[in-house]
Amino acid sequence: MKKNVKRFLSLLLTLVMVLSMLTACKSNKTDDTSTKDTATPTVEATDTPTAEPTEEAVSPGGELPRNETLYYGGLQWGAVNGWNPLSDDMNNALAITQAGGGSRTPMFETLYMYNMLDDSMTPLLADGDYQWNADRTEITVKIKSAAKWSDGTAVTADDVAYTFDTDVKVKNGQGVALAPYIESVTAVDPSTVLIKAKLDDNGKAVNPLLVVAYLGQTYVIQKAWIQKVEARCNNDPAAIKKDAGEDVVYSGPYHNFYNDDQKVVLIRDDNYWGQDASMWGKLPAPKYLCHTIYADNPATEVAFKAGEVDVDQQFIPNIQDLWEKEGLPISTYLQDAPYGICVNMPTAWYNMDNPLLQNVSIRKAIAMAVDYDAINANAMTGQSPTFKDVPRSVMNPTDGEQAKYDKDAVKDLQWTGSDVEGAKKLLDDAGIVDKDGDGIRELDGKKLSFVAACPDGWTDWQAAIEIVAAAGKNIGIDITTQYPQADVFQSTVTSKKQTEYDIFMMWTDSAGPTQPWGRLRMLTSSEYNGVDNNWAGNWGHYSNKRMDEIIKAIPGESDPAKQKEYYTEAVKIYLTDVPSFSLMYRPDQFHAVNESVWTNYPENGDGNNIPPLVLLNGYSIAGLYKIDLVK
Amino acid sequence: MKNTIRQVFHSPKFVVGFVIFALMLLMVIIYPIISPGDPLQMISKGSFLKPGVYFSVYDSINTNSKTIDLPEANQKRLANKLSDTDKVSMVQWLTAAGVPAEDIDMEDTTSLIKLWNEKYDPTVKPEGMTMAQRNFYKRLDKSLDNILNEQPLVVSAQNQETQTLDEIKRISDTDYVNLKDVPNVKVLPLGTDNFGDDVLKKLVSATKTSLLIGLIAGSIATLIGLTLGLLAGYLGGFIDDFIMFITNLFTVIPSFVLLILISYSIGQDKRGASTVAIVIGITSWVWTTRSVRSQVISLRNRDHVNLSKLSGHSLTSIIIKDILPYIASYVVMAFILQISTAILAEASLSMIGLGPKTADVSTLGLMMDWAMSYSAHLNGAWWAYFPVILVIALISFSLNLMNTGLDQVFNPTLRD
Repeated sequence: MKKNVKRFLSLLLTLVMVLSMLTACKSNKTDDTSTKDTATPTVEATDTPTAEPTEEAVSPGGELPRNETLYYGGLQWGAVNGWNPLSDDMNNALAITQAGGGSRTPMFETLYMYNMLDDSMTPLLADGDYQWNADRTEITVKIKSAAKWSDGTAVTADDVAYTFDTDVKVKNGQGVALAPYIESVTAVDPSTVLIKAKLDDNGKAVNPLLVVAYLGQTYVIQKAWIQKVEARCNNDPAAIKKDAGEDVVYSGPYHNFYNDDQKVVLIRDDNYWGQDASMWGKLPAPKYLCHTIYADNPATEVAFKAGEVDVDQQFIPNIQDLWEKEGLPISTYLQDAPYGICVNMPTAWYNMDNPLLQNVSIRKAIAMAVDYDAINANAMTGQSPTFKDVPRSVMNPTDGEQAKYDKDAVKDLQWTGSDVEGAKKLLDDAGIVDKDGDGIRELDGKKLSFVAACPDGWTDWQAAIEIVAAAGKNIGIDITTQYPQADVFQSTVTSKKQTEYDIFMMWTDSAGPTQPWGRLRMLTSSEYNGVDNNWAGNWGHYSNKRMDEIIKAIPGESDPAKQKEYYTEAVKIYLTDVPSFSLMYRPDQFHAVNESVWTNYPENGDGNNIPPLVLLNGYSIAGLYKIDLVK
Repeated sequence: MKNTIRQVFHSPKFVVGFVIFALMLLMVIIYPIISPGDPLQMISKGSFLKPGVYFSVYDSINTNSKTIDLPEANQKRLANKLSDTDKVSMVQWLTAAGVPAEDIDMEDTTSLIKLWNEKYDPTVKPEGMTMAQRNFYKRLDKSLDNILNEQPLVVSAQNQETQTLDEIKRISDTDYVNLKDVPNVKVLPLGTDNFGDDVLKKLVSATKTSLLIGLIAGSIATLIGLTLGLLAGYLGGFIDDFIMFITNLFTVIPSFVLLILISYSIGQDKRGASTVAIVIGITSWVWTTRSVRSQVISLRNRDHVNLSKLSGHSLTSIIIKDILPYIASYVVMAFILQISTAILAEASLSMIGLGPKTADVSTLGLMMDWAMSYSAHLNGAWWAYFPVILVIALISFSLNLMNTGLDQVFNPTLRD
């Protein structure tokens, strides 16, 4: 009897388990369809669980009204450290991100907003276009008279000048990057800024491109506030950079409302100066910008699909399935593949410190054998133009950059991949053969055995590296993959010399006012060799004298024909020497939107000319003024 | 011995477990013979191809076609492109575009499509319509292209010299080819994974690797456990204390943590399948030692052992001849469990990225790891992970069943 009961129970349990599994599969589907029209606000830990979600009753940390909040995903990982724009490690993605391709300006503002779509600079704090002098050594910028700080005082040329001086003085990222190219930023009068470029021996600007980049990259911070920080930090640069800046004065439309390790919330400043007719003429639509801090990409993706994230900056494999198969109200900037504007080129670098990799045949052979179509189709799931569509060079696939070199001149050098026979022949001809019959080729008695690495958890990169390893296997080169933690990987790669990784993946510059020159420099300039903590580029420590000369010559060259000549020669050298090889084209920011609550996001051909950079970077912030609630 | 085996095979539990396990083994051995090829070959461009039969479109055009007239063909074709909900959406768009409701007949698909083709304008942005909805209509419109076209489709090739298109063949909607005549047909019973590998082929090869890992790890763990247990139990005294001290140390440290630490310190370049197996083996012998020791202690003072001692038999001979046979059944059961645990341990290790190298071998855990990284579980690509889970479950289920069956045979208190 007892036994029978046991048997019955076990049977019942099994049945329950099977059923629960089945329903689990099913409920997943029903979830997807139900979220289509019901946009449920994110449920977060609330300090005041009884608070009514009405406009007046929103307390910091309380539940935000869904139809006044724009939720972000994929930008912020971990709690923010503070709000001090003079610092580089505030880990504050929404408020503090300064980059050549367009800084994020919801809280702090730059003089201009860069737009990667047409390579233009739209005035933000500045008034009208910037003016070069005749020699291209000085830029004059006017400040908008309407521009105000959050404390009501006007933004002046003095603030701009003082910010730059402080950046240089405390040696933060902006100061270090720009000091070699900008001599001074001074206030001619309260509304006029004069930016003087550093000059070389011939009296020409060292790099006019980087002077222009400064305009769209570096925040303007209030002088009075900086002085306050300096006073409380006794002018100690390290202390200034550590200051959390909770009392910071800002000029942008949003500021800190609430943040903890669960979320970051910015609230709109309804007195924002930009509602002046000389700027936007109105306030941005969402009252709150909220970034819930998710554990990882899959967690963000689940929230995004459920409509709890409106704008998502993450790689979603097979993103078209979200709308084609699951019918979710999700879109990307382009309706069809590659779904975004690919401007970045994740690249596999060869470590030239490895004597075997100083052999160009080996470098070229591996690069030729890699199946780039597989990387595109399987690692990027088609979200990238192929190297057949856009032959490799140092330029990204945008028309502007593609026009900067002579394609026919380098045609014979551009490989499209999967050329296993060609790669084998190249190695055979170079005398690099397998002598001991173990399937692995040797050079000077040393086995061709390499370690290929990229950070752990960077899914598309990992899959790409696996495909590189598979290519090695096909041509008799042993390549093992390694996925260290991102910080370990990056600190190794950015060190002066490393022997851990022979082939490793890093990013390149995206679009920006200095491109494609900046990318060329990043890929090949020997100025970074021997520099410790080098985040700027040439991590493989390649060196070519002629290339260095070209990199030096391009920025000062104003004749487009001559520039094209330089670029073509540089591409030629790059493709001949193969110090690195790009594996894919990739967007600067992944930009997918869920239209459960908000709509009217930027889309290709809508005539608004707003780049798909999560409505934050550079001119993309204009999108915040365009979006609307779904009716 | 014969009798024992007969007894064992009378236990229904054991038989069921054995049959499942044997089937898996057979599959591992036979499938690579009937479907040869490298399981890690990326056959598809594009990840997560659905399970099914894929045949070459190119070849089917060049295959002799037969005319078959099926009455339902056109309706099926329509229904495939246009579901009822799509029709409702079309009506909604048309109404929003100002077409009077009486002009729209949802029942008559043909006239609906004609009306649609006439009225639909992709550049129009109806008030209140989201980008996602507008894109949906654009896709729908595209899929309806040529749907009513009853003219044959023309296949043409580009003439290399004149760059003109030369007609090769006309395909009418009643043309069929026999799948057997198409030279290139690829059956993908479980589709492909994120790398574009054939999942079934990979699964079989992964099962083999995982079984091998289980076998190696199980043997190592059982061997260490057995040797230490026998020595500790039989010799006693200081050696017993010493071995038990080490064993207890290992018991206290969670073996999985140890496993992670060792795997991490080995580094991925040296982490082949056999290395992982050895690492798992040397971290999971503890419980075998403890139980073997306790069994040996109870055996140590039996009469026949004392007799052997008096007769001057050597230590090894006593252990092997007089003690081992009494605990053999237990050891076999422990071994089976070790195999199952080791397979699970490998899967867990690979899931957190500490398994063998992806480019070298496929293991069950690695398959799960990549399916998870490419969010197969979120995208509905069940074929990339569910069969793997099933295989893992079946392996440990069959092994555990065999174990319980053996237990019932050898343990008198559990007998029916």
